[in-house]
Amino acid sequence: MNPKYRVVSIIARGALLACGWAAGAALAAATAAAATAATATAATAPAATVTAPAAAEPAAAKAAPDAPAADAAAPDAPPADFKTLDQEVQGLKKDVIDLNKDLFVLEEELLFPANTQVALYVSMDVGAFFALDSVTVKIDNKEVKNYLYTAREADALLKGGVQQIYLGNLKVGKHELVAFFTGKGPAERNYKRGATINFDKGVGAKYLELKITDRVAKHQPEFTIKDWE
Amino acid sequence: MRRVLLGLSLMLSALLGVSSPVAPSRAAAPTLVGKNAPDFVLKSMDGRNLRMSEFRGQVVLVNFWARWAGDSRQEMPALDRINTTYSRAGLVVLGVSVDEDLGRAREFAGAMKVSYPIMFDTGADIGRDYLLQNMPMTILVDRAGVVRYSNVGFKRGDERAYLDHIRELLRE
Repeated sequence: MNPKYRVVSIIARGALLACGWAAGAALAAATAAAATAATATAATAPAATVTAPAAAEPAAAKAAPDAPAADAAAPDAPPADFKTLDQEVQGLKKDVIDLNKDLFVLEEELLFPANTQVALYVSMDVGAFFALDSVTVKIDNKEVKNYLYTAREADALLKGGVQQIYLGNLKVGKHELVAFFTGKGPAERNYKRGATINFDKGVGAKYLELKITDRVAKHQPEFTIKDWE
Repeated sequence: MRRVLLGLSLMLSALLGVSSPVAPSRAAAPTLVGKNAPDFVLKSMDGRNLRMSEFRGQVVLVNFWARWAGDSRQEMPALDRINTTYSRAGLVVLGVSVDEDLGRAREFAGAMKVSYPIMFDTGADIGRDYLLQNMPMTILVDRAGVVRYSNVGFKRGDERAYLDHIRELLRE
């Protein structure tokens, strides 16, 4: 459903629920008042027997069984109306969560339309020859991202995590992406390497992955950029 | 006539009495107290990258300092003493230099010989996020990442106020 209409629908349902709650509360108050009245009648009945025993006895007998029944029923089983209302509230909460999700997706679509969207991801495999410190990304010679990695973040990448480092917009056409990786290389030496990719941005989202892998044969890290078609 | 004068003087005094509290006063400096501490990541003097949000769950004292601010020279040893005493209790002290001259800032930090991490910010983003106006500036962030106390400048006795707030936050 269109999020706009969903918002209106949820507000309307919320208003209806509020009315329902008010009606329920009024009903509960009325029931309680009736029960109190019944108890009061039962309590005053003996006094009435002095003047009119024949008339008071049936009244007391009528009122007495009703009052305890109402008192006992109240704490154990909530009225069916309240159950329905509770289910309605739960449903409404779920709707709000769903709507929030839809709005988030909508916002993403508006800010980064699929036909101009470009997303960059960083992944790391093994990492025995390289300790990642930072990544700098340039697109068409313009720096778009410079990210410093803490030990925890680098560790998360080593454990198989994939990080979205950049999400932006690019025009359709040819572009150049350069990524600089800095860190500690073999033998704890400062290491800085670059990787370049020339890619064609068509209509539709573009996904690129900056990959850091180990080249075991050369005992060196390797930096590549993969274009996910 | 006397009554008129008396009435006028009463009205005047009443007007003055009412107007004095609303007289234009110096606007209070904006503060981050009660708001979430903005996240940042900076390289520390020992080469580690430290991210503010990774200290969530601990009480964090962030001290923004500059070599040219005389009070920083007095404040840093006091913060070092606080760090030594309370680091085991869950306090993290971070020093952030806002000096543009990185080399001289490093030299200064090295000479101060403090035990807590010193980071260097040569950009303007963090200063803007933390509403830095005067140096030094110290803020205290609770375990939930909310700024709870802020102090601009440093004078003798301020460390006692820091300690009171730190103890309170560590107890939470």
